[in-house]
Amino acid sequence: MRAAQPPESERDARMTQAISHLDLLEAESIHIFREAAAQFRKPVLLYSIGKDSTVLLHLARKAFWPGKLPFPTLHIDTGWKFREMIEFRDKTARDFDLDLIVHTNEDGRAKGINPIDYAPSVYTDVMKTVPLKQALDKYAFDAAFGGARRDEEASRAKERVFSFRAEGHRWDPRRQRPEMWRLLNGRLGAGETVRVFPLSNWTERDVWRYILREKLDVVPLYFAKERPTIIRNGQLLMKDDERLTVKAGEEIVNRRVRFRTLGCYPLTAAVESDADTIETVVAETLGARTSERQGRLIDHDQAGAMEKKKQEGYF
Amino acid sequence: MTRPNALQEKSVKKAKTPLKVVAGQEADTQPAPSDLDKIAPELSGMLRVLTCGSVDDGKSTLIGRLLWDATDLYDDQRETLKRGKTVDGGNPDFSLLMDGLVAEREQGITIDIAWRYFDTASRRIVVIDSPGHEQYTRNMASGASHADVAILLIDARHGIKKQTRRHAAILDLVGVKRVILVVNKMDLVDWSESAFRKIEADFETFSWRFGFWEATAIPTAAVSGDNVAAASTHMPWYTGPTLLQHLEQLPSRVTEPSGPFRFPVQTVLRDSRNDFRGLAGTVSGGSVRVGETVVDALSKRTAKVLRIATMDGDFDQASQGQAVAIQLDTDIDVARGAVLSKADSRPVVARVVDARMVWLSETPYDPRGSYLLRTATDLTPVSNLKIQALLDLETLESHPAEACSTNDIAIGEIALARPAAIDTFGEAPETGSFMLVDAITGASIAGGVVTAAKPEAALADENTFVLSRAMLERGLNTDLRDLPGSEAEFRRRANEVALILRSAGINVEIESAPDYSI
Repeated sequence: MRAAQPPESERDARMTQAISHLDLLEAESIHIFREAAAQFRKPVLLYSIGKDSTVLLHLARKAFWPGKLPFPTLHIDTGWKFREMIEFRDKTARDFDLDLIVHTNEDGRAKGINPIDYAPSVYTDVMKTVPLKQALDKYAFDAAFGGARRDEEASRAKERVFSFRAEGHRWDPRRQRPEMWRLLNGRLGAGETVRVFPLSNWTERDVWRYILREKLDVVPLYFAKERPTIIRNGQLLMKDDERLTVKAGEEIVNRRVRFRTLGCYPLTAAVESDADTIETVVAETLGARTSERQGRLIDHDQAGAMEKKKQEGYF
Repeated sequence: MTRPNALQEKSVKKAKTPLKVVAGQEADTQPAPSDLDKIAPELSGMLRVLTCGSVDDGKSTLIGRLLWDATDLYDDQRETLKRGKTVDGGNPDFSLLMDGLVAEREQGITIDIAWRYFDTASRRIVVIDSPGHEQYTRNMASGASHADVAILLIDARHGIKKQTRRHAAILDLVGVKRVILVVNKMDLVDWSESAFRKIEADFETFSWRFGFWEATAIPTAAVSGDNVAAASTHMPWYTGPTLLQHLEQLPSRVTEPSGPFRFPVQTVLRDSRNDFRGLAGTVSGGSVRVGETVVDALSKRTAKVLRIATMDGDFDQASQGQAVAIQLDTDIDVARGAVLSKADSRPVVARVVDARMVWLSETPYDPRGSYLLRTATDLTPVSNLKIQALLDLETLESHPAEACSTNDIAIGEIALARPAAIDTFGEAPETGSFMLVDAITGASIAGGVVTAAKPEAALADENTFVLSRAMLERGLNTDLRDLPGSEAEFRRRANEVALILRSAGINVEIESAPDYSI
């Protein structure tokens, strides 16, 4: 078919080496951080300690370098995170001089809501969604940066970079603002808050590639090591402390395992692996044949689980 | 650390190791490059592909097939498909991969745009799946604004429909320059070459008028995978690329500086320890080097670029798409909303802009409404928004109108309460596009492109030179008379002339086309 001629510069571009896709993704994320910091009154960075948060934090530092991060970081602590995650969190906060806020739903903790005896949907609501809303309200944050990516799950694939939440932090998929070109409209209506997703266009592979390229430290749980594990409902769980009790027919076995995602330890399945360096983990991940959320037990709860959780205010 | 040139460095880097070279950390601390190349090669580019067409044309099936055949699906996703219902000939229902929202699965339609990602050997492909129905024109337009190339899906049995014309017009409006005409369901027309050629010719006939640089037609059968990733054995008469091959061949997301230098300032970064005051932003057009003089169009103040700073070290040059912090040699009090440019090619300090816009909101246009104009990094109160005409996307004719509502393409004039640095979309897309924002609810009301930016001076002073249609037709464009599709070329030439005159310091306006048709 015929073609109108592209301008000279475009034709030249075919001859030259393109910037790598990670460079493009990095620049886009930095742009999003700066837009949000400039447009919102009081943003906060949701820090969940995992690899996505590690990349998120690194990009935030790049966006505002040589200045300090112009917002605090917030960790919603359910009290059931792996112990190594908490150590890593505190070290990171010290190393980068972060203004770290840790928030727990004390009411839920007092009532003994835990991931072992309660249905994942109940536990997630009480110990993750509710305290997130509590903390956002308590400090009057109008914007929260999160590490969610569109490649994670079907309803995430439709998520905006600026994801608006109505009063009560509710997400209405039909009322999201259209986003065009690189323009980001952060003007809030009454009672609205926003979740900002600078990693929207990253994939799991990109996150690992970037960690490797930028030589970022990640929680050691991502690397294979002998760990005490049990098999429950066909999933490998690590016995991180005495609260996970062994049921009849189960036994604690030291297996060489690692984790593809990190969360509350009784809800986070391990995979058997020998990958104990960043290079081997990346190699294994790039060849992986299951999507990472397979390891998150909450998502198997019901059809459209994530969409429903999000409508209720989950990240 | 000083970098010679970001682009040069990338090519060197690519040849040796995919790892980023960070100041003070040289390659001796890294594993052998050959291992890392195998483990995590950085892809040399990215292509954002919009897919438009309706469910009936087999759009979700086509994309699902592309993901399936590119073997980038995870096993659990494959299992989900295999467990689900099957369609024609026992193939899995690939469309299940695409329609994410429960409401969409229930209704069997695609409401919102969905983003999918997969990698070929050389590049990242981002698939932006947009709904085809007319009532979702706005979703399609917003999806298209992110795309480098668009797939227009045609059912081989039905050929070019009104919808195809509508889609092509939207693509042109938001600046998509390359299209792929995928003629699908070739199995249902007995793999007929003549059916394909007729559709190809029909498309050529009506697409002339648009500003597309490239249009390629590919005959496919998505259900069986013919010409999606694998060459079809049913159509020996077709010798062109498969869809996947074509997506790998197209120029990658533009990473070369093009157009005049533009740097919309996002925020000011300070580091009191080092007396650093940097203007943070992303270069939205062209490039700039250390030592060059830049100007803030609004204040007309100039300064030299002292440093181009990033956490990875200083650059000698910053090019389109790079996010950096620019330190100037004198403090000219530039803040968010300013656009830095070179002195000889400034954006217009505009008080009035002519625009074409997609009405996104469910709330119709209100002549007494309060609107704001969001441009690259500025937010300017609108003193008057006047709707002049609506564009009929099927006939491409415009009709005078004073009202507009959801999914309309409106032509209008926006008067600003204070001047803003604005370009025409054809000259500098990122500083020539905008969102119209409701001042009360904050909602995004419309998204649009600037067809003319009128300088403040033009309102008060008669020194603006108007390039009239008659003048342009007489000399420069005599060869275009009565040619189909000549308006795009007419517009391009007029823009070039205006650019040259503006560089010479002359305020120029281009008289717009009398009937508003493209």
